[in-house]
Amino acid sequence: MVWEWIRFFVVAGLLLVGMFFEVLAVFGVQKFKKALNRMHAAAMGDTLGVLFIFLGLIVMRGLSMDSLKLFLVILFFWLASPVSGHMISRLEAMTNPNLGEIGVIRMGEEKENEAVGTETEGTAASGKETGESAVSEKDNAKSAPSEKESAKSADRKGGA
Amino acid sequence: MLGHAYEMLLVGAMIVLGILIIVSIVRSVLGPGISDRVIAVNMIGTIIIMLIAILSLYLDEGYLVDVCLIYAMISFLGVVVLCKVYTGVYLQRKNMKANLGAVEDNLRRQEESGVSETAAPQPETEKQPKEVR
Repeated sequence: MVWEWIRFFVVAGLLLVGMFFEVLAVFGVQKFKKALNRMHAAAMGDTLGVLFIFLGLIVMRGLSMDSLKLFLVILFFWLASPVSGHMISRLEAMTNPNLGEIGVIRMGEEKENEAVGTETEGTAASGKETGESAVSEKDNAKSAPSEKESAKSADRKGGA
Repeated sequence: MLGHAYEMLLVGAMIVLGILIIVSIVRSVLGPGISDRVIAVNMIGTIIIMLIAILSLYLDEGYLVDVCLIYAMISFLGVVVLCKVYTGVYLQRKNMKANLGAVEDNLRRQEESGVSETAAPQPETEKQPKEVR
């Protein structure tokens, strides 16, 4: 009887942790303003929330065929969630003309930036360029050329 | 006593997940871009899968876990297809001017030669799916 209660508390703890991560993911999706930041919050619910809730259900079920299937659901989610995240992020990078407003992570000093390689430099430069065009776009409402240019650079980024 | 406690736990979890689904539906309606809507719909699918798994243990029915597994696969497929479709729609809309230019070229070439070459703009439209990937 005591072991049954211990198992109940383990199940309750795992379910509460999973529920906490899921609430955090939904709150993050509501809170953030950009789609890429929202994806960052949603991926947490797709991995950790699914892991803890299904682990709790497996502990509750015990060793059986159903718990194996629940484990397969976890495995499928951990394999499929990065793929769908990659697809969504590519769609966002391709279609959003104001992508440059998102800050680009720079690798410390210039020397380290050179050491990292030319590719990081190129993406940082293009990010700066799109940021400037986005700022100019903010100033004069919606000017067609700058929008097209930033869309082109965003497309190039997404296609790469 | 123990069964009652498990029942309370599962019903509470299902109520919380239902509230989260409603909040996600609000985001999928309000979301400014198409990516936000896809993200919200993907998250609704995840929460529904958890809900079905909890329901299968609450009702003690084993086959609901199979439903859960198939739902996960179809949800993933839906997200992939939505992304492909909206990428294609965006590229088509962006290349619309080029396509009209290709049609004008085709019409001018037809006027020059007098022979209908309908196959001329085909390579121009065939080029689009290659740019997608």
